[in-house]
Amino acid sequence: MEITASLRHALLTDREQTLTRIYQRAFPLVRHYVVQHGGTAHEAKDVFQDAVVVFYEKAVQESFVLSASVSTYLLGVCRNLWHRELTRRARLPLTDLTDEHTQQVADAEPTADTPDSLAVLTYVEQLGERCKSVLLAFYYFQQPLEQIASTHHYASVRSATVQKFKCLERLRKSVRAALSEAFAHA
Amino acid sequence: MRPDLHRLHWIEHHLLGHPTPAEAADWRTQQLVDAELAADTEIQRQLYQGLYQAGRQQLRWELDQIHARLQHSARRRGWLQAATDVLRRTLRLLPGR
Repeated sequence: MEITASLRHALLTDREQTLTRIYQRAFPLVRHYVVQHGGTAHEAKDVFQDAVVVFYEKAVQESFVLSASVSTYLLGVCRNLWHRELTRRARLPLTDLTDEHTQQVADAEPTADTPDSLAVLTYVEQLGERCKSVLLAFYYFQQPLEQIASTHHYASVRSATVQKFKCLERLRKSVRAALSEAFAHA
Repeated sequence: MRPDLHRLHWIEHHLLGHPTPAEAADWRTQQLVDAELAADTEIQRQLYQGLYQAGRQQLRWELDQIHARLQHSARRRGWLQAATDVLRRTLRLLPGR
């Protein structure tokens, strides 16, 4: 329990160093496993990074309790992911792309101007580095506002909170304007 | 806080927080009288989804950077190891050793 709490604290306060240490310890094990089971080092990297993303999202939650070492946990997740990938490949053997496939992909392209395809992601990128950083720190990386205030040099937690909502408002306005434009052209 | 920011805060509390039964009841009442509340809530929900996707992208980017850095230092270590191996072999062949 204490190990999980200190790990969570390390991830929240020094993500880069903590993830680097985890990477150094766990990735060689995962690469060995994937390569031994028909994969490449590049595929091992993809599987490992998928697992670390899931791990991060769980580890920063208060409710998460780690019952093994981080490396063992990640190796377990990667084994499952790689096994699933091999099963998927066995079901769908590689075939050459035909014109018919190309047409199917073209037909499946999302049509623009629908709310779902507006891709808020694009507007996040347009926010500017500071706003993007504050919003991601809070909403994705789950950093406490005290830490966000300190790392972004805000005078107080209240200033950081107000700034966070100002950034969210800017994002909302961009998305809303895009939505209105989309409906006007519909 | 400005009223527009306060509204964002209020909707956020409803979407991501833990509203009390009294707050939940107030929310339901507001839905009846505030014609724009449903649309504003839906947009804000989409914002959180977009931020989640952007966060995942950012984390993948950071992991790629770590991977590249570790690969680079592993290659350097490999090169140094090879160089010192040659040196060690040469020294062993020197007369008097």
